[in-house]
Amino acid sequence: MVDVDYLEKLASIACDAAIASGAEFADVSSVVGRSLRVDLESNAIKSCSSQQVGSIAVRAIVAGGTGWSTSDKLSEESAVEAGKNAAALAKLAEPDPDFKSLPAPAEYYPDVKGLYDPQLASFDARHIIDYALANIDEALAVCPDVNCEGGFSVNYYQESFANSLGILLTDISSHIGGHIMAIVKRDGDVGSFYEFDSGRVLADFEPNGIGASAARQAMQFLGARKLQTKRMPIILGPLASRSVFEAIVSAADAEDIQRGRSFLIGKLGEKIASDAVTIGDDPLIARGLGSRRHDGEGVPCRPMVIMENGVLKSYLFSTYTAGKAGVPPTGHGTRGGSASPSNIVPGLGTKTAAELIAETQDGLYINIGAIEPDQTTGDVSATVDFGFKIENGELAYPVTGTMIGGSFLELLANVDAVSSDYRYEPGTIMPTVRIQDVLVAGGK
Amino acid sequence: MKDLLQRLCDAAVKRGASFAEARVVEAESTGIIRQDGRADKLNQSGTSGLGVRVLKDGAWGFASVSDVTADTANIALDDALNMAEASSTRSTEARMPTIASLTDNVPARAEIDPRTVKVDRKMAALGGYEQAAQAWAGDKLANSIIGYYDRFDREIVCNSYGTYIEQEMIRTFLHALIVARDGSVLQRGKARVGACGGFELVERTSADEFSVKAAKLAVSLLTALPPPAGKFPVVFHPSITGLLTHEAVGHNAEADSIINGTSIISGRLGERIGSELVTIIDDSTIPDAWGSYKYDSEGTPGERRVLIDKGVLTGFMHSLETAAKMGVPANGSARAQSYNNRPIVRMSNTFIQPGASTFEEMIRDIDRGIYLKGGEYGYVFAERGQFTCHAGEAYMIRNGELAEQLRDVSVTGLTLEALMNIDMVGKDFEMKMPGMCGKDGQGVPVDNGGPHIRMRELVVGGRV
Repeated sequence: MVDVDYLEKLASIACDAAIASGAEFADVSSVVGRSLRVDLESNAIKSCSSQQVGSIAVRAIVAGGTGWSTSDKLSEESAVEAGKNAAALAKLAEPDPDFKSLPAPAEYYPDVKGLYDPQLASFDARHIIDYALANIDEALAVCPDVNCEGGFSVNYYQESFANSLGILLTDISSHIGGHIMAIVKRDGDVGSFYEFDSGRVLADFEPNGIGASAARQAMQFLGARKLQTKRMPIILGPLASRSVFEAIVSAADAEDIQRGRSFLIGKLGEKIASDAVTIGDDPLIARGLGSRRHDGEGVPCRPMVIMENGVLKSYLFSTYTAGKAGVPPTGHGTRGGSASPSNIVPGLGTKTAAELIAETQDGLYINIGAIEPDQTTGDVSATVDFGFKIENGELAYPVTGTMIGGSFLELLANVDAVSSDYRYEPGTIMPTVRIQDVLVAGGK
Repeated sequence: MKDLLQRLCDAAVKRGASFAEARVVEAESTGIIRQDGRADKLNQSGTSGLGVRVLKDGAWGFASVSDVTADTANIALDDALNMAEASSTRSTEARMPTIASLTDNVPARAEIDPRTVKVDRKMAALGGYEQAAQAWAGDKLANSIIGYYDRFDREIVCNSYGTYIEQEMIRTFLHALIVARDGSVLQRGKARVGACGGFELVERTSADEFSVKAAKLAVSLLTALPPPAGKFPVVFHPSITGLLTHEAVGHNAEADSIINGTSIISGRLGERIGSELVTIIDDSTIPDAWGSYKYDSEGTPGERRVLIDKGVLTGFMHSLETAAKMGVPANGSARAQSYNNRPIVRMSNTFIQPGASTFEEMIRDIDRGIYLKGGEYGYVFAERGQFTCHAGEAYMIRNGELAEQLRDVSVTGLTLEALMNIDMVGKDFEMKMPGMCGKDGQGVPVDNGGPHIRMRELVVGGRV
């Protein structure tokens, strides 16, 4: 494994080479890492893979025009060549007067605990194979005719980031996760469901219960029925509600706003959702899956409110979009241009998910199904991939051939409750959300 | 290189592997983004590395390194063998066929190798596309992006059969996004063009059939209506036919999903699973097509594979392993994204064969239906056969004629119902949906298409 000093040296060499070759600004990410992965098929191991990765990616800027050069060779020679190439491309690129500067080093970078577990850097493949097989066995114990596929993986990455204004930061991160798709086929009918768990550190990864949960829920999806087209309340379970919160944050990318291609243009400070919808972005949660101390451009991260009681409070800015708007960057920059949120933290309500279901007489519960709008138009036309009809306050039967459609802003205005309870994955809060009066298209 | 890779395969066999493969991929790419009047983002990338795959005691192990030397290659082999030994605890009991070795050297096919074209010439071409689109959209223009991408790959496949294939590929791709605005209404139009070939693609692609098409669509959608919700007779444009073919049938006909029982058509070989009007092909031999190749990533020659013949399920896409397990010849469908991925069963260019109907005949007797055009994306849950296709553009069909334009329409259905419900297949044909198909974390170039088709009914996710 490459040591920290060498990785930082490569980043600095590449950055210096870009400047020496005529770039006005440059930044570099040098990365080394290891990935182990077990793929599962037919209740057994399909393949086990080990991947060593390394890369040097240089961004050089001349008069706002940007050139990138990437190499996967971690050597001083490659670093110099990548720096030179990026500068040559930047000189060819057309000027962009909206570019102001890359960020200068900050006085303070927050310390985020628990993003790296040394145990995972040298994890043995046999450990994740044991986890995977134990989950298959527990799925089979729940349902002897289940067919499991999926995968378990462990990753470890070390990144040194340098820019020509003097930033030099090194971060180490790790991740462990597993998922199982359980499939049950009986008499021509098929039920399936997905379950997962993940963590930045081993202690946050619960290796038991993934297979059993997937198998139990897969059986519940046998006997799916078609619905008639009508308006009704929909309740988004924890795995489905995420798509709504993510869609709001994604559309608040200042790059899309400034370029004139987001349905949230002109909505800053306006109430665009019901009082029930509050969304924060918190990059500093210890052990959070989306946690980080700085963004992809070296700007320190901080928690912020994106939506409060339905009012859009902030866009997400990189140094480029912030410079264009004349505001400070928010710590969501990437070197590719678009903004990157961290841990999305929705505000919670007062009723439990069970209460929301119990008080719904005729509705649709969505377990999985991305209720994502078109980011430009705000229109939604989405399939309910996994859902249940709600009748008299109970989940009655699974549905198939069901879609929902509408204006995303109308859906947001009709959110009447966010649950008080939620599913938690490190840094990620996933509550249940109810939306009134949604047009559900059925195949009956 | 040849000596190194052959020594690696020999060493793997000596250490107990029943099959070994050493694959080297070198890639160079250039990308240009022109946005709002400026080509201000240029990138070039160069990667290369080695992937080693071994089969030992019925278990697969794979390892990759980006620096290819004798030392790193041996480390990769050690790693791959360790992975296989760890997997053998409970493996899928993989096996490989007995086949003859193959040796070939396939140079890249390109009239104008993009590596010989200067970046400023590529930038100038994008300027022309953008200006034409901007001129058409006029004061309705909100945002324009024109993207260019070319990629050169050299893939060397060496395995313990004695096969040694060295194959070069060049692919070139253009994409356009035009956003139009009228007051608070935003709409967008997209276009893409891609080929297995070089810069001649750009020289042959006019603005009218690319960026202007996207601009016209974006502007026309400003006055389009949201779609109705419910079940309707539908007519598919070839781009939606392609999405349906890829998502609803193609993924289900990948032999790995047949063997592991996750496909909705497992166990149905030889049975009628669709209307007799439906013949579906996956063909990696079409000259210059975006999804084509001569050899797959296992060194097996690509083929024209008939998946469904007049409604009857006749075959699948195979890797060496799935072919051995099903007792049939491999047909060159094992593809890997790069050196650090193992080959898995994939599609190439997938389409429905043309039939006998005209578009006018298809819509003539529909009182209230929907014509879906402008295929954008799709996905499938193969085990249940439930697919979703999204169209950026559509029209109502009223009393046998095209009526008002609609926007943002998704449809969902079940594969087996949908195939039976196809009651007319057009005599036209178009395959212009170059894109990247994702599976198991790997993306590979694929295209899809076909003729116009008509389906008796399908669920539409609408707003009114």
